[in-house]
Amino acid sequence: MKKSLFIMSAAALLLFSVACQRNQATSDGRPTIALVVKTLNNPFFNDMQKGAEEAAKSLNVHLLVQAAEREVDVEKQMQIIENLIESKVSALCITPSGSKEIIPAIVKANKAGIPVVILDTRVNPEALAAANGKIAAFIGSDNLEGGRLAGELMVRTLGGKGKVAILEGIPGHETGDSRLKGFRQAVAGSPGIQIVSSQTANWERDQGYTVFQNMLQAHPDIQGLFACSDLMALGAVEAIRAAGKTGKITVIGFDAFSEAREAVRKGEMTATVAQFPADMGKIGVESAARLLKGERIQEEVTVKIQLITRDNLNSNKP
Amino acid sequence: MTLKAYVALHGRQFGTLFGLIVLCAVMWILTPHFLTVSNLLNVAEQTAIIAIIAAGMTFVIITAGIDLSVGSVLAFSGVVLASLLQKGVPLVPALAIGIGVGFFTGVLNGLLITIGRLPPFIATLGMMSVARGAALLYTGGRPISGFSDSFRYLATGKPLGIPMPVLAMLAIFFMAYFLLTKTKLGRYTYAIGGNEEATILSGVNVRLYKTLIYGICGGLAGLAATILTARLNSAQPIAGMNYELDAIAATVIGGTSLMGGEGHVFGTLIGALIIGVLRNGLTLLNISSFAQQIIIGLVIIVAVLLDMALKKSRR
Repeated sequence: MKKSLFIMSAAALLLFSVACQRNQATSDGRPTIALVVKTLNNPFFNDMQKGAEEAAKSLNVHLLVQAAEREVDVEKQMQIIENLIESKVSALCITPSGSKEIIPAIVKANKAGIPVVILDTRVNPEALAAANGKIAAFIGSDNLEGGRLAGELMVRTLGGKGKVAILEGIPGHETGDSRLKGFRQAVAGSPGIQIVSSQTANWERDQGYTVFQNMLQAHPDIQGLFACSDLMALGAVEAIRAAGKTGKITVIGFDAFSEAREAVRKGEMTATVAQFPADMGKIGVESAARLLKGERIQEEVTVKIQLITRDNLNSNKP
Repeated sequence: MTLKAYVALHGRQFGTLFGLIVLCAVMWILTPHFLTVSNLLNVAEQTAIIAIIAAGMTFVIITAGIDLSVGSVLAFSGVVLASLLQKGVPLVPALAIGIGVGFFTGVLNGLLITIGRLPPFIATLGMMSVARGAALLYTGGRPISGFSDSFRYLATGKPLGIPMPVLAMLAIFFMAYFLLTKTKLGRYTYAIGGNEEATILSGVNVRLYKTLIYGICGGLAGLAATILTARLNSAQPIAGMNYELDAIAATVIGGTSLMGGEGHVFGTLIGALIIGVLRNGLTLLNISSFAQQIIIGLVIIVAVLLDMALKKSRR
């Protein structure tokens, strides 16, 4: 009988841990809005979650927040969305882990009659139309403009001349692709600026370190770095420190979360392009709530974007 | 055979099955959304990809081997298949080549292990990196997306109301069961894991069978790639990261011993379903992804502890 005791205690343990973790019951009549972000181990999405939670509180709606363990895992994100559809949430706010790959999940939500609001990362419009999918709204930054702002600052800082490297996000992610495009457009007008290396660090900090370390090995005279996210930029900052070149390389990141602002203050980074993820989360939940009340909403909301340098650091708290 | 004797002999599978039933009961009590036909089909569909990979992994692990390359092989097979489809290659040859890429990568693993005498861990660790790099190089890091409806039917089709991935999963497990229990290949699989030296001495061409087993494992990763590509309507070179760990977990939860010589494919299916039900149920309950990882880890540990306790009590 030892073994059945063992099984039962194991089951009890599981039940207990589940019960402890379980959030409030959802069946209190309030509509449930689910926010599915790419991952929760990135400050950007933590800020988005905070904004969404504030909006949910003031609007008196129930908010669920879910994410895959890894930012690149679009299949896991799709499973989460399928599960949320099964649990009959009233509306979905999604930051897609893949601009095309997420479309089958959106179509499933459409079929279940659940409205979908897309945040931060655009869904590929042609692929969405081809699949007969529909989204209620898109809320996000103008990433192309952000990349352009970074590119213009790079040209100004380097005086229109110098070797520049780029750390890309995951290819196929609309946000990173647009930032890259904007940056390249902005520096294209200055023939003195030479892009010597452009590689992905998969949005990850540790890869930002190693990839940029290798770039520095190959091109010791790199004068500027544009990283499509602050996490990658901060990884590169450490690689620059290890090479004893802190302050000698113009590093521009993207996202402007608190650690990157601190790096700008210390002069380890020159600038970072601020997005306002909390606003995205807030407007996303507000839009979904208004949809559920049957109100019309704006189909495309551009959240402001801003270059943060040492000069305006203090006047722009997140 | 009396029922009691049968249970005594096959106690381990009953243990995991019992675990799955308990888990389902717990989820049923905690959330009204769990025990619905559409959600159960949903779970089965979500489990299919890992389960199919895990079926191949079961063969490998029974021979006391391991295959760490399956996630990368899945990505490589997927992007090759996707590029063929986009070049207008008809469905059947494209599928055959896509799955064939998986099979040949697996055979390569097998040759490295049998002819090259590398430990399976090392050979497949190397292949994990090679296949991932090949997938990235082949695509320039970009996903390949957009396929015909006839291809997508492999994931979106629902003959008789049952999703295609689930049908594929069931077909694979019945075939694997047949191979393992009714054929020479199956008996040799157990024999190699039980005592490889003795198997060689009794005149079995162990090199051939081992290579074939790794080929099967790779081929099943290729098949999983087809389903994943059809499901997402896109083949990503970064797909399938950590899938090898999920497949190994499903196999081990299902009662197959990493020491080799024993194991059962239906145990693996139940193991994969346990992971699938957990992930599904924990999302329905809105438990954070961080806590989910802790719970899944604990379940793996408890399952193996339980398995060891059952084994002891039978002796």
